Amino acid sequence: MSTVIKTTGLTKSYGDYKAVDSLDLNVGLGQIYGFLGQNGAGKTTTIRMLLGLIKPTSGDIELFGDSLRGKQKELLKRIGSIVEFSGFYENLTARENLMINARLMGVHKASALSEALEIVGLHQETKKLVGNYSLGMKQRLGIARAILHHPELLILDEPTNGLDPVGIKEIRRLIRSLADERKMTILISSHILSEVEQLADQVGILHQGRLLEEISLAELMKRNRTYMEFQVSNENKAALLLEQQFGIADYEVRGDGSLRIYSHLGQQGNLNRVFVQEGLEVTKMAISGETLEDYFVRLIGGGTIG
Amino acid sequence: MVDLLYTELLKLKRAKMFLVSIIGAAAAPLMIFIGYLDRKAKVPDEPVQFADAFTETNLYVVLLIGTLLYGVITAYLFHREYAEDTLKNLLTIPVPRIRLMVSKLLLLFLWMLMLTLFSWSLVLLLGLLAGYEGLSIGVVTDSIQQFLIGGALLFLMTTPTMFVTLLFKNYVPTIIFTAAITMGNVALANSEYRVLFPWSIPHVIATGSFVSQYPAYYSYISIIAVSLLGFAVSAIYFKRADVG
Repeated sequence: MSTVIKTTGLTKSYGDYKAVDSLDLNVGLGQIYGFLGQNGAGKTTTIRMLLGLIKPTSGDIELFGDSLRGKQKELLKRIGSIVEFSGFYENLTARENLMINARLMGVHKASALSEALEIVGLHQETKKLVGNYSLGMKQRLGIARAILHHPELLILDEPTNGLDPVGIKEIRRLIRSLADERKMTILISSHILSEVEQLADQVGILHQGRLLEEISLAELMKRNRTYMEFQVSNENKAALLLEQQFGIADYEVRGDGSLRIYSHLGQQGNLNRVFVQEGLEVTKMAISGETLEDYFVRLIGGGTIG
Repeated sequence: MVDLLYTELLKLKRAKMFLVSIIGAAAAPLMIFIGYLDRKAKVPDEPVQFADAFTETNLYVVLLIGTLLYGVITAYLFHREYAEDTLKNLLTIPVPRIRLMVSKLLLLFLWMLMLTLFSWSLVLLLGLLAGYEGLSIGVVTDSIQQFLIGGALLFLMTTPTMFVTLLFKNYVPTIIFTAAITMGNVALANSEYRVLFPWSIPHVIATGSFVSQYPAYYSYISIIAVSLLGFAVSAIYFKRADVG
């Protein structure tokens, strides 16, 4: 699969603070890539760098196989985007707002505006000024503006921010149809886990400016649904045994003698035997499931997401 | 550039600022007119001359109201892209930043030209209604020339205002800046230093009221240098600035 977005060591610093830190991002052709992270994780800063709105402190950005440096104008023409909330000229109608983009992008086909408005269901709002639009309508218009020129890559930064559940569902349906019917590659950032879970093929998890994991959703679901849980008399000694005798690093000490082990599934018998041989009292052993949300919270070291 | 100018014009459709600017441009002719009405009431035998009305209105426009009004329009044109959060859309289309800046300056020039001609026309209309005297081809051409030269030179002096707007991304510093300049214009109006202060030079050049202490080219150098410097620092800043 060819790569549409590739960043290498992408960093943006403000003084000593690194908003984005050594980011290596890979978005494949035709994917819906969920860029997941808490508010302030660095998602919007990354997207702004991808779109040339802010300059990276260091690192490289490749779009469609070409470096963004020096080819920004050509590359951005192949991209449609929404960065946070969509800004519009509120004294104009939806069509007039789109007309501005169409003129500047060289889209001269008269039907292009109607087509884009129809896709997002705003084709009947011919007289209403955008200043009178609801937030949901503005977000839909933002998508219409982003797809007006038939881009190959769509970058959507928190497109469902501030929307009610019906609006969120509508935007999700729209994004899915753009990927399926128009074969667009889509990067969608969100702090809402369920949103990414329902849309994305590939997920990148960003926390405090660093990419913690880049993984397919299928793999993520498979890998993180099951774990072994032990209740022992001394969890620290148990942890030492796990590392020294089994080479297990992917575990979690949860306090009160409880341990969760995320690898070596199926070896619970061996683990139990060693614990007992080493003088530990095992009072509970179970195979349990972890929700995706639990996984993310663990990955980012606490806090909340979604 | 034609497309950019077209879209800049489209953005003004239904914009209240356009009407506000017309009202602002009417202020000077109306103030002068009211002043003449008052004088007429007190000294009915002394006729009001068109040439005086045009000269005094141009003085008010160039030194007082124009500086403030055109400063606010400059701030509106550049700041609205930040205030309405539309700049990031334009820059990701992508529109080159300098071309965007130049297209806005072009629109500003046309807008100022329109307001200048509106002010002049209003003086003429009010003068005809009130029966001013001394209207001749010479008065018409001289006054139009003075208004247009004053307006064009005021346009050159909008580049520092543009920089203040881009730097602070807020109307308030721009208004304070233009108010301070207007105060400077008032303070220097009767001083020989008016030929050196860039914002009072438009009136000096438009009316040819140079002073013997300083050669005329000092005034030209001063206004051109400040204008170019304003443009250059704006361009450098806008091109390099991160868009948050």
